[in-house]
Amino acid sequence: MTHKTDDWGLLLTAALEGDSRAYAHFLRAVTPVLRGVVRARGAALGEAGCEDVLQEVLLALHLKRHTWQVGTPVRPWLYAITRYKVVDAFRARGRRIDLPIEDFADVLPAETGVDPTQGADIDKMIGMLDPRAARLVRQVGVEGDTMAEAGAKLDMSEGAVRVALHRAFKQLAVLRKRHVE
Amino acid sequence: MKTDDLIRAMAGDTVVGPAPQGRLIWLLPALALGFVALWSRLGLRADLGVALQDPVSAMRIVLSLGLGAGALWAVVRLAHPGAVVRLWPLAAVALGAVGLWLWAFVAMPAEGRQMAIVGKTMVGCLTTIPLLAVLPTAAVLATLRQGAPVRPVLAGAVAGLAGGGLAAAVYALHCTEDSPLFYVTWYGTAILGVSAVSALIAHRALRW
Repeated sequence: MTHKTDDWGLLLTAALEGDSRAYAHFLRAVTPVLRGVVRARGAALGEAGCEDVLQEVLLALHLKRHTWQVGTPVRPWLYAITRYKVVDAFRARGRRIDLPIEDFADVLPAETGVDPTQGADIDKMIGMLDPRAARLVRQVGVEGDTMAEAGAKLDMSEGAVRVALHRAFKQLAVLRKRHVE
Repeated sequence: MKTDDLIRAMAGDTVVGPAPQGRLIWLLPALALGFVALWSRLGLRADLGVALQDPVSAMRIVLSLGLGAGALWAVVRLAHPGAVVRLWPLAAVALGAVGLWLWAFVAMPAEGRQMAIVGKTMVGCLTTIPLLAVLPTAAVLATLRQGAPVRPVLAGAVAGLAGGGLAAAVYALHCTEDSPLFYVTWYGTAILGVSAVSALIAHRALRW
């Protein structure tokens, strides 16, 4: 797992410098590991519930990625955030769980089954964004639009799209707090 | 939305927030404002230059600044998930303060101790230090908010130690109580009070 962590560090470094592809690659690399952690802890929530929690963890990672210090190991940072958000998510759902940090290293990445990767909560929250922001998030996420393409469809400049997308994610975190608590 | 779609959307967002410790810059105006307020309302002590040369009196400032610096160092780490947080510098300052207090207690004749502890300006000290601590502590809490503290209550308490310690160092420029029996007791009480309130605020304000 050590070599993998080094890769994560390189990818995340590039991501913080604005490399979208490296960032997507990083997120896809860590997602199965995080999914494994969430499912190991939250079997009672079912696969769909776990996916919601996983998406909350990813959203938190996204908004707090500037707290990773380039050159430091990724794993302690990643697991600290994951533990915090998983505990938070379960508490918000009325369950208290205890996560010893050692457990994370032993968790196997979870394989995805028959599309268990659909999150429901995130759709509700996107639905609460203002319509333009909601459309933008779906345009970029589901349709895979670039900033320029999304901008053309929404009649916004590329710069405005970037700012709007960032704001949308921040707003999603705020909504999530209100919605789940 | 599928997780993979969420990832694609997130990868499109290339706006990365600034490092949390950058917000510590707000400590400078916060402390400057406190200093100006202290100077204009209460005045600096007349014999400040002489007092600073007396090691026992100067320890008020050394201990307060030491606590503030140690707490700031810990705060920066508390803002970064997974970073190792070392609280021993804080413990060392606290131990130093208690040691100094005990030394002064033993050195002082029994009949003078109570007077030395109570002093003449206890109320001023207990009100002014928390007032001076408001803005610095707010600046430190803002730093933590920009970060991702996974132990919000501890982070808030340490933020209060930072703000309280720095505020006490500013207050020491006015205060004329030179005995550790006074300043360890009441500066310490004021700083711990700030820390407790800050921890309470952090419990809600630092959730993310």
